[in-house]
Amino acid sequence: MPAFADALVTDDLTILLGLVTASIFLLSNLYKPQPLVHPILLGRQSDVSRVRNPGESAVYRYYGTGIMGRFPVRPQRDVHTLIDHIKPGVDAPRTLWSTKITNNQIRERVIHFGAGLRRAGLKSSSNVLLLLNDSLEFLITDLALASQGIPSFTLSSPALLAPVLDVHPPTAVIIDASFLPHALEHVLDSAEAAHHVLIVLGEPDAQTTARAARGVRLVRWPDIEEEGRQSGVTELPAPPGSESVFTVSFYRDEEGNMQAAKLTHENLTAGVAAIRALVPPQNPLTALDTVVSAHSLSTAYGRAIAYTALLEGASFGTLEGTKLYKSDINSSPRPLDDLFTTKNLSLPSATMLFIMPSHLNALVNAVLERAKKSFIFPVAWRHKLSGILDGHVTRESLWDRLVLNDARVAILGAVAATLRGVVVSGGPLPADLLTPARIALSIPLVHAFTHPISTAPIFASHPHDLQTFAHALPVAHVGPPVVNIEVKMKGVDDAAIERGEDPVGKLFVRGPPIGRLMDDEDSTTENEGQEPWVATGVVARAQTNGSFAILEEGS
Amino acid sequence: MSFNLSTPLNTALLVYILYQAQRIFFPPNQIPEQTPSEFKSAYSWMPKLHPPTLLFTTFTPKTLEPYNGKDGGRILLAIDGTVFDVTAGRNFYGPEGMYGNFAGRDASRGMAKQSFDREMLTDVDKPLDKLQDLSPEEIENMRGWFEHFSSKYIVCGRLVENDAI
Repeated sequence: MPAFADALVTDDLTILLGLVTASIFLLSNLYKPQPLVHPILLGRQSDVSRVRNPGESAVYRYYGTGIMGRFPVRPQRDVHTLIDHIKPGVDAPRTLWSTKITNNQIRERVIHFGAGLRRAGLKSSSNVLLLLNDSLEFLITDLALASQGIPSFTLSSPALLAPVLDVHPPTAVIIDASFLPHALEHVLDSAEAAHHVLIVLGEPDAQTTARAARGVRLVRWPDIEEEGRQSGVTELPAPPGSESVFTVSFYRDEEGNMQAAKLTHENLTAGVAAIRALVPPQNPLTALDTVVSAHSLSTAYGRAIAYTALLEGASFGTLEGTKLYKSDINSSPRPLDDLFTTKNLSLPSATMLFIMPSHLNALVNAVLERAKKSFIFPVAWRHKLSGILDGHVTRESLWDRLVLNDARVAILGAVAATLRGVVVSGGPLPADLLTPARIALSIPLVHAFTHPISTAPIFASHPHDLQTFAHALPVAHVGPPVVNIEVKMKGVDDAAIERGEDPVGKLFVRGPPIGRLMDDEDSTTENEGQEPWVATGVVARAQTNGSFAILEEGS
Repeated sequence: MSFNLSTPLNTALLVYILYQAQRIFFPPNQIPEQTPSEFKSAYSWMPKLHPPTLLFTTFTPKTLEPYNGKDGGRILLAIDGTVFDVTAGRNFYGPEGMYGNFAGRDASRGMAKQSFDREMLTDVDKPLDKLQDLSPEEIENMRGWFEHFSSKYIVCGRLVENDAI
């Protein structure tokens, strides 16, 4: 008894310690930041169909759309064709590459250029090969051709020029002057060269001009626009139907064969709708944003990013690495240098970046190398990582202010303060880059999977997804399908699925953003009146939480 | 005032304070080896199982018949060559249900004629009911029931003749 009473003797120190204990207990339990997205949502990212065919997996859709839901086909009610992305009522200027321009001015230039093209002899049955680098002139050309109903051809790489000219000779070629010397031989050799019109943007050297003028009609790009202005046309022609093809995008698939994806206006508006849904809904894209893209406008995805920025009234620019058509076609800038080439443009500071894994890798390594110079970096890393394991990350924490912000400003400059979202796609993202990227950038990071057949990414992860697993796959997962695409896998092992393993198989996709291949070999129609499933040629694996991982491509 | 740390209560409180302080200044960075399968236990979790899916199977009247729910298993019925999984409607189509006759059988004629009698069903040994003697209104009625079933239950297979497989 006395021993017991002795044990419980309290004094003033006990009261002090007791108060400290109580306050620490309350603080640590109540002042815990919430995860940015509730983990229950990350456990069910796709909606899965209840039935599957033998040898195939179930059909997966984005959870918000649901198996019975309708796919969004356009971002807003009256956006049906390309030119509808340039709203006539809005008059605030924004910067496109280096030009400050308003919507009405763009529309006016599109009307003039379209009229000029018609006067140059192009008809709706003509095909125009677009060999321009990403610039305001590319957009005006694209919009003019689309609103006149003249399909354009684009190439994902200059090496496709010869095969395309062989198989699908175009009526006219719109080309960048620096690429003209390389392309001239092919163009002159191709069939019906004498009837061709060659529209050149920029000033080619005298020798090339002389050679070209002998075989084909050579016109300057500004002259076409000037002719159109003088023709007095002030209205756009009747809009084409949204199911009409506005471009054919040529690319090389995983086996190295050349494929042609026919994209309609509806494909593009659906792609814009999906890309708009990539950013967190609390902070959508607005006219105050500046979008910088590393994906060339000659690809379906690059086009869709540009039109998303145009629709929202944001400023837009592309990196130097997107230039396909230049005098030295084999040189490309190093990823980190490429990221900063927008400094040469008079764009406002970038707020959204659509980049490739190589850019992200270079950026994250540069920022962390710089941050390691501080002696409290290990403690900062430890605290940031513990926050990420709890599901929250912010750029305004103490450790950012002490360590990371200086590193970001040193590498990125003014962009460090304005950057608010990064979307990475265009190749496999190594899984061990995820945590360093989340710590170095501390902003919503979306990892997506794109394919040349689709204007939207096929898969895109949740922007606030910070889950970290001990035994993840070597390649980062890419999340669930986007809002308007459904996927399934063929060639799966039925017995393995019945045992409960992850389905692995060749990926097939369907939905409004998916274009049609020129030669429809692998697509299959299962029911009458339904769109066919399109083969992508990649192997995908579905995880139990509805996110996907793309395994080695082409097998 | 006396500051005597050797009292057990003070020591216990001090130990707790030091432990919490250590967690605040050096937070845990452990990624669990075994991925948790409950969202309550951790933020980074993965469900244990995929959502259940049914395999689209081709049935014959003989292979369809066992799925009548009498052993507590799945309940299937067929309308117009399509097999529906009506396990969710055990109250209606189970052995004690009002329409229990239809379980595991081709219910097309019964749906068309709006009748649940045994005469509407064909024997499992006989060929499938061709429904040739039905009037257009009855076919229309069957179509209506087909639409109702398509939206309420899962399409999980098709029904073919006994010798087709």
